[in-house]
Amino acid sequence: MGFPLLSFVVFTPAAGAAILMFLRGDDAVRWTALGVTILDLAFCIAMLAGFDTTSQAMQFTESRQWVPALGITYALGVDGISVLFVFLTALLSWICVLASWVAIDRKVKEFMISLLVMQALMLGVFCALDLFLFYVFWEAMLIPMYLIIGVWGGDGRLYAAFKFFLYTLAGSLLFLIGVIVLYFQGGRTFDILALTAQVLPFQVQSWLFFAFLIAFAVKVPMVPVHTWLPDAHVQAPTAGSIILAGVLLKMGAYGFLRFSLPMLPAATVYYSPLMLALSALAIVYGGLLALAQDDLKKLVAYSSISHMGFVTLGIFALNFRGIEGGILQMFNHGVTTGALFLFVGLIYERTHTRSIANYGGLMKVAPVYTAFLALFTLSSMALPGTNSFVGELLVLSGGFTANLAAGAAAVLGALLGAAYLLGMFGNVALGSPSAGFQFKVRDVNAREMAAILPLAVFVLWIGLYPKPFLNIIDVSVQHLLAQVHAKGNGQ
Amino acid sequence: MTDAALFQSILASLPEIVVVTGACVLLILGQFVRKEQEYFLVWASVAVVLIAAIATLMLAGEVRPAYAGMFVADRFAVFFKLVFYLATVLTFFLSRKYADIEGIESSEYYVLLLFALSGMMIMASATDLLSIYVGLELMVLCTYVLTGFMRRERRSNEAALKYVILGAVSTGIFLYGVSLVYGLTGTTQLDAMAAAASGHPVDPGLLLAVVFIVAGLVFKVGAVPFHMWLPDVYEGAPTTITAFMSVGPKAAGFAVILRVFLNPLFAASDVWIIVAVLAVATMALGSFVALVQDNFKRLLAYSSIAHAGFAIFGVVAGGPDGIASVMLYLLIYSFMNLGIFGTVIMMRNADFSGEAIEDYAGLAKSHPGLALLMLLYLFSLAGIPPTAGFFAKFYVLVALVERGFVMLAVIAVLLSAVAAYFYIRIVMVIYMREPGRVFAPALTPLVRATLAFTAAGTIGIGLFPSWFLRLAQHSVLGG
Repeated sequence: MGFPLLSFVVFTPAAGAAILMFLRGDDAVRWTALGVTILDLAFCIAMLAGFDTTSQAMQFTESRQWVPALGITYALGVDGISVLFVFLTALLSWICVLASWVAIDRKVKEFMISLLVMQALMLGVFCALDLFLFYVFWEAMLIPMYLIIGVWGGDGRLYAAFKFFLYTLAGSLLFLIGVIVLYFQGGRTFDILALTAQVLPFQVQSWLFFAFLIAFAVKVPMVPVHTWLPDAHVQAPTAGSIILAGVLLKMGAYGFLRFSLPMLPAATVYYSPLMLALSALAIVYGGLLALAQDDLKKLVAYSSISHMGFVTLGIFALNFRGIEGGILQMFNHGVTTGALFLFVGLIYERTHTRSIANYGGLMKVAPVYTAFLALFTLSSMALPGTNSFVGELLVLSGGFTANLAAGAAAVLGALLGAAYLLGMFGNVALGSPSAGFQFKVRDVNAREMAAILPLAVFVLWIGLYPKPFLNIIDVSVQHLLAQVHAKGNGQ
Repeated sequence: MTDAALFQSILASLPEIVVVTGACVLLILGQFVRKEQEYFLVWASVAVVLIAAIATLMLAGEVRPAYAGMFVADRFAVFFKLVFYLATVLTFFLSRKYADIEGIESSEYYVLLLFALSGMMIMASATDLLSIYVGLELMVLCTYVLTGFMRRERRSNEAALKYVILGAVSTGIFLYGVSLVYGLTGTTQLDAMAAAASGHPVDPGLLLAVVFIVAGLVFKVGAVPFHMWLPDVYEGAPTTITAFMSVGPKAAGFAVILRVFLNPLFAASDVWIIVAVLAVATMALGSFVALVQDNFKRLLAYSSIAHAGFAIFGVVAGGPDGIASVMLYLLIYSFMNLGIFGTVIMMRNADFSGEAIEDYAGLAKSHPGLALLMLLYLFSLAGIPPTAGFFAKFYVLVALVERGFVMLAVIAVLLSAVAAYFYIRIVMVIYMREPGRVFAPALTPLVRATLAFTAAGTIGIGLFPSWFLRLAQHSVLGG
């Protein structure tokens, strides 16, 4: 075993959080947190640089005994499916620190500690190769996220934090039972790779599929278990929203890719029409809800439900284009929606209103802000040349291959997306200021620019030249599909 | 009994003898100790427990049956005795300042705790219905008195009275079951009882006896439908005694339950389903009623009912893993529950009671360190990883699924999601409300040490459960 790079990736933020405990002074805390996230990002870039895109195997693997009596190990590793999310998590965490620089003005130390702990746990989820370890990371995230929403959130934060906590907890606990059943069915091991290699009876797969589905669907979130999301998003501070939209929602989809598809292939194939229908429902329903919103943050939150519908649609299309597009779209959604929440946060800091009706003519007073907002809005709409276009096209092509109706629903969702996003942008940025708009808005400063620019770079980079990103994903997706089709058909 | 057998018996019960002798000596010494020297009693009591602990560990090597099959010193008993020592010593540490504030400082307080400890130790080692009875009564008689120790407080008197009356009824039920067993099989020894009742179908009279014995025992751990005394007694008793009772006597009750329930007579009988129903009902009642409590001690009482329910799920699972899961659960529960009670106890200062949940509003702002500790204990009680509470629940669930009780496991986790709600509600009060009144916590070095120690256990067992898991697995009955 060489240098334990992934352990460094996962535990650098945790170590940073420990250091923060001993610091005094808000600025020292902010700069240290920033330094820690940058260091972690550096580790992630080193990981990406060393990542072998031609191999489907888990890379940078580490494994140690943890609870040998129950076959639990501390095992980390990444493949093409997880490596992008590890990077995305590190990137967005860094942006979160910048986004909370002035937005969080009380209990700064506690906030940054929560943020860094959260980052460590999220990275752990994407790196874990042991189901028990995965579950520990997955469930422990509830603690810092609950605090981030509940302590630093808006006026309705208590209700939102509660709802978030209980929804995800109830979902995850059933997942836990599923994990334990899988442990006994799969020969008393929590090793994800060993469990993937097993073939379980269809009956068992079916039950497990639904146990897992509840947990993952809450996290994604899929309609009808999505109702915690708008509350949580609206009440959370900007950094919390970025993390929720950028990383947390990805975990449900990641769960499908890591567990449901490879471990329960027969059930996945059998129930894929159901999943496609739920995805199509989420796309259209989320779009319609977004169309009806006046609150900026709610609009972005509901659009997330619609966009995550595209992701699950791609995944359960169960063909190469679909899954490839789904994974890319997860990354894109993290970048684009993360940025949109950042923008909502920036404007909220300046005006203390999120009602779209209160804005108008922002282009005149804050041209740089508006220009970047336009870029991310167009990206969210999947305009050609932006990142989401590539992802959405792949998902649609996969979706149409799998099921015509689901594909058609997705196209309808894309149209709805154009409607609410263009409407939002028009009302906020164009025209003349509304009657109630009498704010003095200053344009973005250098610190805010530092948070925006990297996201903008990814929007255009993936939009114009997606090949390096697809290269990372492709081999693993092919391997995953081969597993699903080899073991999944014949029921 | 020959001399050699007597010597062996005394050797096997040496820890109990140490504790009882120590308690007697302290009872006399206590009369001569002046008011300002009472810390001496605390340290002397701790010393007695430590000597007993050393004796226990030295005897842990082999199984020693004693007193003609009424008593046994085995690894199972050793494990439980260690839990009792832990609970007792930490209660001593928490008591000194609290007793001072409440004005209940007297030497009998420590002596009674030591006698209760010896009763619990006898319960863990008892292999005969009669020796179980002796241990049980020794323990509960002491806790009756300790519950009513705040003589000037009506609540305390009322709790003690209620406890005595209901406790006597449950003892009567238990004894009735014992007499039935004796009448039908001619023995009260657990092993002989099992052998006598091995025929199929089991004698209906024996089944009746089993039901009575079960009823008497689950009263002590506060399982539904014998839980009614628990919230009132927990609320009325001095908080230190509540902390002690929620951990020590409860673990002792489970020690007996494991010994008796996992006896072949029970495992083979149709009443086994009762245990599963008990577990579900206990957990459901504890979790749902806790939702509406405003008094922290009452809330913790219902939470302890819910936790007893979860531990009974481990009894239902049975088998080596089931037994080990209950044992590990109780060990972990001792750490986190003594921790959370430690925080309640140190809130009691001057005219501040610390009993209303509202009292904790904004604790995160006024005392961030304490708030963080409470956060840790509460999330552990709720069973969120990486705390020890998660691993405790996890292992019970593993044992349940191993035996094929998947539906029960699902019920257990759904009910623990309900339970999570009220723990999280307290976290909310601590972290998300503005502070109300200013108060100074009664933090003596001993209380600090207790809180630090329980916190270390709560997080340490969660991160490195392996050693403790193996300890529990090695200490399983007959293992």
